[in-house]
Parts: sequence; structure tokens; C-alpha cells
Amino acid sequence: MTAAAEQTHAQPGDVLVDVQGIKVHFPIKKGVIFDKTIGYVYAVDGVDLQIRRGETYGLVGESGCGKSTLGRAILNLEPPTEGKVVFDGTDIASLRGEELRRKRQHMQMVFQDPLSSLDPRQSVESLLLEGMKAHGLVKDTKAANARLRELLKAVGLPAASLQKYPHEFSGGQRQRIGIARALAVDPQLIVADEPVSALDVSVQAQVINLLEDLQDRFGLTYLVVAHDLAVVRHISDRVGVMYLGALVEEAAADDLYAAPMHPYTRALMSAVPVPDPVVEDRRERILLNGDLPSPANPPKGCRFHTRCPWRQPTQCDTDRPALRVVSIDGVPETHRVACHFAEGIASGELQPHKVEAEVVDPHLGESDAHGSLIGPATTVEVTDTP
Amino acid sequence: MTTRAYAADTRSGQALLSVRDLSVVFQRHGEQPFAAVDGVSFEVRPGQTVGLVGESGSGKSVTSLAIMGLLPARGNRVTGVADFDGTDLLKLSSGDMRDRRGKDLGMIFQDPLSSLNPVVPIGVQVTEVLERHKGMSRKAAMPKAREMLDKVGIPDPDRRLKDYPHQLSGGMRQRALIAMALACEPRVLIADEPTTALDVTIQAQILQLLGDLVRDSGTALIMITHDLGVVAGLCDEVNVMYGGRIVERGLRHDLFAAPRHPYTHGLLGSIPRLDGQRGEPLIPIPGSVADNLPWDHACAFAPRCFQPIDVCRSQTPGFVEDGASALRCHNPVGSPHGHTAQPDHAEVNDQ
Ligand SMILES: Nc1ncnc2c1ncn2[C@@H]1O[C@H](COP(=O)(O)OP(=O)(O)O)[C@@H](O)[C@H]1O
Ligand SMILES: Nc1ncnc2c1ncn2[C@@H]1O[C@H](COP(=O)(O)OP(=O)(O)O)[C@@H](O)[C@H]1O
Ligand code: SF4
Ligand code: SF4
Ligand SMILES: [Mg+2]
Ligand SMILES: [Mg+2]
Repeated sequence: MTAAAEQTHAQPGDVLVDVQGIKVHFPIKKGVIFDKTIGYVYAVDGVDLQIRRGETYGLVGESGCGKSTLGRAILNLEPPTEGKVVFDGTDIASLRGEELRRKRQHMQMVFQDPLSSLDPRQSVESLLLEGMKAHGLVKDTKAANARLRELLKAVGLPAASLQKYPHEFSGGQRQRIGIARALAVDPQLIVADEPVSALDVSVQAQVINLLEDLQDRFGLTYLVVAHDLAVVRHISDRVGVMYLGALVEEAAADDLYAAPMHPYTRALMSAVPVPDPVVEDRRERILLNGDLPSPANPPKGCRFHTRCPWRQPTQCDTDRPALRVVSIDGVPETHRVACHFAEGIASGELQPHKVEAEVVDPHLGESDAHGSLIGPATTVEVTDTP
Repeated sequence: MTTRAYAADTRSGQALLSVRDLSVVFQRHGEQPFAAVDGVSFEVRPGQTVGLVGESGSGKSVTSLAIMGLLPARGNRVTGVADFDGTDLLKLSSGDMRDRRGKDLGMIFQDPLSSLNPVVPIGVQVTEVLERHKGMSRKAAMPKAREMLDKVGIPDPDRRLKDYPHQLSGGMRQRALIAMALACEPRVLIADEPTTALDVTIQAQILQLLGDLVRDSGTALIMITHDLGVVAGLCDEVNVMYGGRIVERGLRHDLFAAPRHPYTHGLLGSIPRLDGQRGEPLIPIPGSVADNLPWDHACAFAPRCFQPIDVCRSQTPGFVEDGASALRCHNPVGSPHGHTAQPDHAEVNDQ
């Protein structure tokens, strides 16, 4: 991506964010008088990942797989059920008061929908000053004004924007305000949750370019959370693919694209439309039949086994595969996969098969009402059309 | 694995639905009239998939709602012709139009939940369509409804007939809606962003389903989307809309290989491609639709265009049709005046 980032990729910088065995389980409550916990949504269920200084780590996966929850947990906005996040050498859960506030300054977030994340009654000036004041960065008015102008310039907004309110801006401009607000406190890490999903494509590109440009200029580290694999691949140095609360594959963006190994990554990649009829006409698609199982009731063993076209009779239904380095020639150690059969699948020795689909009830608490305990037997159809 | 199959040459033959010079002007009390759709013309033949593509607010949905007679009764003026097999749909009474919908014309929306009745089981909703439009008895309609759910790939259809919409996932709901829209074998199906709310693996399923249906039943499909990737895979012919007008039309391969309108060109340059070269910066279109000029005496896109010429700000570019392609531009990409270089002197900064 950027010169600096390429360099980071070639000679890994130090680890800025070290996520260790993070789990975030949300209780499902029922009852009028007593809140009885009747189950849990296993939104994030055991994730380890490292983000190096100066790189962009992209987290991709379908809605509900736990990307946002993981992003929030990394910023300590969601208390983890288990595990810890070490930021710049410090376990953030151990911090209190002033110390926590100071660390927080270095970790900022940019949201998908800039309008709902910006207070409509606050002018841009007051929105930007808010964070700076909270972190004691406003010394005197003159310096603050200079800083505000600098920020607006950095994100490509006219200085006159300061006196305006969020609704006076287009979607792309609002996202620039959201980015300026994150930048205002001079952070090291920015977690951007679906930063361009709400924008029209022509404007998406502006914001993507802006994010890349700011990273170069300010040496930022990014965690970009998005459902769009094409966007994630474009801006990320490394990519983690999530499925039902866990990482199923992690690799350098180019390696992942060149040789996706996890069956889910393969299906996801094959489903992303490419704006080129020549490519579309000869593409092979791995169609997953059926729905994503409920995270309140994740399948045992490999979480993807209910939809996996390569599912094998042993292990898949019983043993949860860990993210591991595979023993395949030419595949670097940085490319890790959570699949028992990655080698056989990569070599073609194991072939995809056809299975039958079932519907998943989207209602978390009710998913066992239909009698299936290990979640729905959603499976995969691999069709052959000439 | 599957490779999507495409209808062969669908250019030949009669148009089934021919939209000519369609305009929709909204007029709210005390406000300036606003032309959301302005002189839109296109055709679709049996078995053909025609795309309407453009960014939000470009008039795609209003176009389809006008054709289907689904715009609010007040506050707008619809002009032009929507010739369906010899009948101008825009002249039908609302009762006659209601009969046509469901029977001859089907529609699928982005959010299936809003077009399904939340308190009525799926099965009853599908049979009601069959009873109303096909005059079937409830008893005869039930097996047909079951068959429809099965056909659109809803597993265990017997059980699903009894389910309420909220008991199905987004993807399954969209299938149920497609089953409903297809129950009466409509000859034209309008799908307005049918996969936009769905995850990409579910989108792939639904697109495959729509493609199969068109191929097997000869339905004419109007596919409305903001996603050029979806268009590239599914549509025979593509109409690009901007500011309420069609600015370019072309056969799928031609349009993507050599876009002639600067807006189409710009859109293609601004999309990160899964198979693209990483590290190559995207080329955004500067500004936003808020910068548009009124079409009356200009090209609406002029403030964002990378190669405007003087006349672009003083004259509305005409809509020039040439066989399968059409263009609304004073200075198309690759023309004598045209710059072939990268955009460099657009007047609006990125914002
Ligand atoms: N505060 C919450 N309480 C209960 N469940 C939640 C909460 N936040 C998210 N979830 C659930 O956790 C799962 C993961 O959600 P999320 O992290 O938002 O996924 P993603 O961002 O990948 O779409 C979903 O099933 C979601 O409904
Ligand atoms: N009922 C309405 N009253 C007034 N304006 C409308 C109405 N419906 C749509 N519009 C406007 O018409 C334009 C086109 O909208 P639409 O067809 O929905 O765009 P899209 O291409 O995103 O589907 C937009 O500017 C929209 O705000
Ligand atoms: S472990 Fe088994 S079920 Fe899981 S992805 Fe690998 S082959 Fe498929
Ligand atoms: S060249 Fe002129 S007419 Fe064509 S898109 Fe640009 S501004 Fe519009
Ligand atoms: Mg999310
Ligand atoms: Mg629309």
C-alpha cells in the first residue's frame, strides 16, 4: 500500500496491539421480574491477533461474525469475557482513571455511519475540540485554532466547515469529520468500523485514499473492519477472515488473495462480484447453501462444518481447529488457517462435495426451538452448471 | 462449483416493456418542483436482463415505482409511456394496475421484511397471490406455494410455509419474496437492489437464482443496483443513471471494456477490485451529487467531470442512441476533444 507500510510488511515493526484469547459473550436474558440468563451470544469466541505498528490490519467477514465486537473489545469499549488486549506493552484492562484515559487517547475509532456517531447539535468545531479538551490537548485558543485548521486541511475540508453542523455535509464529508475527530487527539491506532460502507462508490474511493494518505503522514496503525473483501484487500497489509466469532484464516493481503486456503475464505472470495464481465463470465463460484448459524448456538467442532463443501467425516464435527501454520510448499508462516484439512484441500486431494441446506432461524433464543442442538444443519451445495 | 450462465443473444426480438421519455416530477407544497426522473427511455425483451445502475438518489427506484404504479397518489407528476405489450401502464386505472402487478409484473425490493406481512405466515402470503391473480382455490394454491418455495431454494418448504417472516433469515426472506413475485409467472420482474442488504455469499445465491429463473422462464428482468460488480455478472444490457437521467447505455461487455461517459469511466476507476493491483491508488470522482448542476442548461455532472468543455455548462447534452448503445455527453471519453489521460483538472476538490 504505502511505502512505509510496505516496509513494515517486509520487516515487521514491533507489535502495537496484542490480542490474547479474547472472548466476548453477551448474555441472553429472559424474564419479567428476574433477569434470567438463558444463554449467550458467543460474539467473539477466542481470538488471538497482533497488529504491528504502522500496518493496516483488515478484519473481514459477514454480518454478525463479531467484527465490530472484536474491534470494540480491542479498544476496551466492550469488556472481554476472557482474554486480554495488550496495547503498546500495557494490558489495558489493568489501567484505571488517568492512566486509562491517557492510553485511550492513543486509540480512536471511526464509525460506519458518521451521522449517527456525530452529535447533530454540535458544530464541527465543538465536535473536534471535545476530544482534544478531554485529553488536555487544548492549551490556548490560538494553538487550538491552528490545530483545527490543520486537521480540516488534512482531511480535505474547507476551514469554513468549523461553524457548520453535521447535517449540512454530504455522507463523504461527514466521514471526513469523523476521521478528523479521531485524528484530533493524535492517536497511534485507529479502529475504523465499516468506514466506507455507507458511502456511494465514487465517494468511497475518496475516503479510502484519504485514510491511506493520513497513515503515511502520521504513521498511523489501522484496524479496518469491513464486510467488503475487495475494500479490505485494497487497504490492508494483512487480513484476518472471521467466521462466527473466530479467525479462520490470516495472511498478508496478497497471499490471501493469491491462495485462499480456508473453505470459507474461498467461498467468500468467489462470491465477491468483480466489475468486469470478462472475469465474471469465467469465474467459478463456490455457492454456500443455507444461512449462517446463530452465534448463540454455534456448531460444535469446526464452526464452518455445517456449510463446508470439504467437510470430512472425522474431526470436522468434533474438534475445533486452531489457527495454524500449514505445511505446504511456498506458503509462508505468516499465512495461517483454522482448518484440519487445509493441506489436502490445497493440493486438490480433497474435493468439494454436495450437501443439503437447511434454514436457520434468525432468532437467537429460539434457535433450538426447532429441535436442533448443534445449530442448523446448514450445508453446502456445490452445483455443476456447464 | 458453478460458473454463471448467461442468456445468449437477447437483443433480437420485440421489446416486452418499452419505457419512453419517463419523467417523474415531485412537487411538495411550497417547494420547487424536482425532477427525480427525467426523460428516461429503455426497453427490455423476454429473457433479457437490463440493468439500471447508479448511485443513491439517481432515480432508479423512482423509475421502477413509476412503472409499477406504486408512487404516492399525490405530490408527483408522471409523464411518458411505459408500453407493456401494447398497453401503456401509466394510463391504467389504479385497479387495473393492481391486477397487472403480481400477474404480469412482479417486483422485489431491497428489504423483504417491508414487503412481507409480518403477521401472516409465508405460505398464506404466497397462496393469497395465487388466489387473487390466478383465481386458484386455497386448496389448489397450497401445493403450488410449496412448489414455489422449493423452486427458490428454501429448504424444508412444508415447514417454512407455516413460518412468519421474522422466523426466516434475510436471505431466506428474500427467497420467499422472490417466490411470491414469481408465483404468478410475471413476464417482467423488477428487482430493486434485491441483494444490497444481504451478505455477499447469500447475494451470490440470490443472483444465481435470478439468473436461472430468467434463463428458464424467459422472464424479462430489470435489475436495479448500485453495484457494478453485480451488473457485470448478470445484465445483458446496462443503463447508467446520473441525476435522474440515463447518461450511458451499452451491452455488458462493451460498456465495461470501453466506457464512454466520464461518469461511467469514473465509477469504474473508483472501485477497489478484488482482483486489482494492490498499491495502485483508486481514482475517485471528486465532489458529490450535492455539486450537481441542474440539467436544464448544462450537464449535471460537469462540476465533477474530468474533461468538461465549455458547452457542458451552457447546454444540456442530448441523448444519442446508436443501436444497442446510447450516450448523453458533449465530450465522451476517447472522442477528439477528449483527454485520455487520467482526471487532472476537475474543479471540485475531493469532499
Ligand atoms: N450488545 C450486544 N448484546 C447482545 N448481542 C450483541 C451485542 N452486540 C452484538 N451482539 C451480537 O453479537 C454478534 C456479533 O455482532 P457484531 O460484532 O456486531 O458483528 P459484525 O460487526 O461482524 O456484523 C451478533 O450476533 C450480534 O447480534
Ligand atoms: N416520494 C418522494 N418525494 C419526493 N422526493 C422523492 C420521493 N421519492 C424519491 N425522491 C427523490 O427522488 C430522487 C431519486 O430517488 P430514488 O429513485 O429513490 O434514487 P435511487 O437511485 O437511490 O433509487 C432522490 O433525490 C429522492 O430524494
Ligand atoms: S475443518 Fe473441516 S469443516 Fe472446517 S473448514 Fe476444514 S474441512 Fe471444512
Ligand atoms: S464531458 Fe461534458 S457532457 Fe460529458 S460528462 Fe463531462 S461535463 Fe458532462
Ligand atoms: Mg459490524
Ligand atoms: Mg433506490
